[in-house]
Amino acid sequence: MTTVLAPVEGAAVGLAAVPDPVFSAGMVGPGTAIDPLRGPGKAVAPIAGKIMKLHPHAYVIVGDDGKGVLVHLGIDTVQLKGKGFQLLAAEGDRVSAGQPVVAWDPAAIEAGGRSPVCPVVALDALSEAVTGVAEGAVHVGDELFQWE
Amino acid sequence: MGERKVTVAAEVGLHARPAATFVQRAMKAPMDITVAKAYGSKPPVNAKSILGILALDVRQGETVVIRAEGEGAEEVLDELAEIAGTP
Repeated sequence: MTTVLAPVEGAAVGLAAVPDPVFSAGMVGPGTAIDPLRGPGKAVAPIAGKIMKLHPHAYVIVGDDGKGVLVHLGIDTVQLKGKGFQLLAAEGDRVSAGQPVVAWDPAAIEAGGRSPVCPVVALDALSEAVTGVAEGAVHVGDELFQWE
Repeated sequence: MGERKVTVAAEVGLHARPAATFVQRAMKAPMDITVAKAYGSKPPVNAKSILGILALDVRQGETVVIRAEGEGAEEVLDELAEIAGTP
C-alpha cells in the first residue's frame, strides 16, 4: 500500500475535471487532480523514491516497490519549455515524500491562457487499486489517495 | 519475431498523449510487446507500461524498435508503428 500525498495546495477535483482527455479519460492511469492555489508555490514529491523523470512541467517519482506516480503541473505546459518553472531537485535524486521538486506559480500559468490544474496519476495501476481519494481542500503533504 | 522500426514524429516525443495512446493499444494485445531505442544501450521496455515508456524517454526524431510475436502480432505492430509515427 502506497499513500500518495498532495504535491500542491488547492482543491482535489478528480481527473474528470481535467481539460485534457488524456487525463480525464484515465488513459494515463487512475488518480485525481488538484486545482492549485493561485500564487507562487513549491510542488513536492507525492511519495518517497527516486525521481525517474524530471521535466520542468512534470515529474515521475518511483518508489522502492516500483510504483510510479506522475505529477503534471498544469495542462499543455510542455509548450512553456520550462519558462516559469524552477527545478529544486535533479533527475535521479532520491527524495522523501513531501520534499520540494519544482517551484512554480499557477497564477502565471493561468495568466498565460493555460489551465494550472495538476493531475496526480498512479502509473500502470488498475482504477480499482486507487482508493480513499480526497475531495475538496488539500494542503501540501495531505493524503491524496491510497494505492493498493 | 516481428518488428517495426519507426521514427517518433510527435513534437512531445513518446510522452503525454502519444505515450498514452500507444500503451492503450498495446494493452489490448494478448502477446508481450517491447519497445527499445534503435540506437543506444538502454534495455527494451514493456510496451504495455506507461511507466516503462516514460522511462525510455523517446524524443521527437528518435527511432524506436517495436517487437512482438504471435498470432495477430503483425497487425498490432502496424498499428503501434502508426501511432509512434504520427506527428
